[in-house]
Amino acid sequence: MPKVVSIHSYRGGTGKSNFTANLATTIALQGKRVGVVDTDVPSPGIHNLFCLEPEQTHKTLNNYLWGESSIAETAYDVSANVGVEGTGKLFLVPSSVKADDIARILKDSYDVKLMHDGFRNLVKTLQLDYLFIDTHPGLSKETFLSIAISHVLILILRPDKQDYQGTAVTMDVARQLNVRKMLLAINKVHSKLNLDALKQKVEEAYGETVAGVFPLSEDMVQLASEGVFCVKYPDHSLSQEFRKVAQQIVEV
Amino acid sequence: MSNIGDLQSFANSITAVTSPLRGYLNELHQKYSSLNDGTVADYIPELALAKPEWFGVCVVTTDGQIFEAGDCDQLFTIQSISKAFVFGLALEDHGREYVNSKVSVEPTGEAFNSIVLDEATNRPYNPMVNAGAIATADLIKGENGTERLKRLLEMFKRYTGRDHDINVPVFLSEKATGYRNRAMAYLMLNFGMVSDKIDETLDLYFQQCSILVNAKDLAMLSATLANGGINPVTQERAIAEQYVQDVISVMLTCGMYDASGEWTYRVGLPAKSGVGGGITAVAPGKLGIGTFSPLLDAKGNSARGIKVCEDLSRDFGLHLFNVAKPERVLADWISGGNGVDDW
Ligand SMILES: Nc1ncnc2c1ncn2[C@@H]1O[C@H](COP(=O)(O)OP(=O)(O)OP(=O)(O)O)[C@@H](O)[C@H]1O
Ligand SMILES: [Mg+2]
Repeated sequence: MPKVVSIHSYRGGTGKSNFTANLATTIALQGKRVGVVDTDVPSPGIHNLFCLEPEQTHKTLNNYLWGESSIAETAYDVSANVGVEGTGKLFLVPSSVKADDIARILKDSYDVKLMHDGFRNLVKTLQLDYLFIDTHPGLSKETFLSIAISHVLILILRPDKQDYQGTAVTMDVARQLNVRKMLLAINKVHSKLNLDALKQKVEEAYGETVAGVFPLSEDMVQLASEGVFCVKYPDHSLSQEFRKVAQQIVEV
Repeated sequence: MSNIGDLQSFANSITAVTSPLRGYLNELHQKYSSLNDGTVADYIPELALAKPEWFGVCVVTTDGQIFEAGDCDQLFTIQSISKAFVFGLALEDHGREYVNSKVSVEPTGEAFNSIVLDEATNRPYNPMVNAGAIATADLIKGENGTERLKRLLEMFKRYTGRDHDINVPVFLSEKATGYRNRAMAYLMLNFGMVSDKIDETLDLYFQQCSILVNAKDLAMLSATLANGGINPVTQERAIAEQYVQDVISVMLTCGMYDASGEWTYRVGLPAKSGVGGGITAVAPGKLGIGTFSPLLDAKGNSARGIKVCEDLSRDFGLHLFNVAKPERVLADWISGGNGVDDW
């Protein structure tokens, strides 16, 4: 049975796109067929991590939502870009970075049913084992949709008062949407903090599992979204933490 | 249940999109889209304009969730479906005893437009045949025709949660050609079963049949009955609780014209159909179904609508008298819980 994994945070810049790319790649490297959809239509970006240039993507999620192409036509095989070989496959459905396209989708909106049916269609036609959904921060109709369909929802937060509050709001929404499984991930933790104590504190506060704690990393900053971290630094402690979270996704 | 909050209502609209039940309805819609049995009603030219491919299926649960597949916003005239709900308003206006003294509740094997009255009492057989519906329309209170129509439209708004218009060409056509209905009205006047404001009442009857609705409205109508007379989305009361059972039971025994017996046996849901192509079906306490497809079978019921209701009833055990364990548990198919996962 295919699994849908949504990665979300209430606030921006928490690491959603990097988490999505790293977790999706980790699972594809285990021989699974994995799809990634960039539903962040107002500010897309994850294609950079997969080294997919806008010039190479003539069809995007936008074209699908406008009824101009099938969802499968907007999916690009990026397996080779991240060293996925053999039975494993990694596909990306990017959103358009053209200002005109973004303006059009914001102005005219789109049918959330179409987005949903597109996800299902993609899973069927590409025979995916996993579908990862990268999201725009905050609450919007695509956030509600991605939370409602996910088998696993990963909520990322930083140790920051604004993130704590926003995460609580998102969790209320997720419960209202009868989310099947929620996992928290704490990112950009200052190196001086005690990781285990933080994990425990957050788990107690929210009553949900913290799947991984990720320190703020110079190496990650340096990579600057020009690739997938766990491919560039497979032995790094951050990559190990990604594999730990991926394992929990697989076991759900 | 109190009025639902914005978060819950928005969440409901999203889970209605992602629910396995919508996937099920989509498949049902696809399955019967290719069924081209039946013909579009053409006794007046306006009805013949309906496109045979129009097809919508909508389910509304008593907790206010809406599931749609196909053309659920396409408008068409409500036609005979109005009869059940106008009967409800007549009951509110006059009470059970008086209404029953004017219209019987006995099913008839005769066609919907037959000119027959009960021999002993001169009452028309039931509120779902034309004669009974005209006698029922006669009972609707109001100073004049306009006010009586306004009361009908307000009633439909309470059921569906939105304003309704009349399709004027359909109304005028029905009025211009409705000799048979006119004859029936005069026959009933002769027996003193209706008041002498015949023209006004006939206008009202032709107008009630020309009210524009869509498949979603039909699901909302029956969901409101299923919910004890309270619209499950707006939480507004549409009909006094005590008369809900009156309306539903007449739908069960007489709602599907002279196919009502077969329908009760096979589908087992109180329902009402109209020559516009609509069917509204009630699963008491659970949900309302609205279907629209203008292709009618020989008995004047929507051919695809019947198939859809048959499948829904069988698959989810909605038949009123079903005691067997259904193939699918409705609550799980709505929520996607308990291992129902259609990915
Ligand atoms: N653990 C980390 N240590 C240091 N930098 C990090 C870490 N995680 C992510 N970053 C950096 O933070 C920035 C934001 O990351 P990313 O784009 O993945 O976040 P996002 O949540 O997707 O943002 P947006 O809300 O804009 O979509 C990037 O420059 C990324 O390299
Ligand atoms: Mg991002």
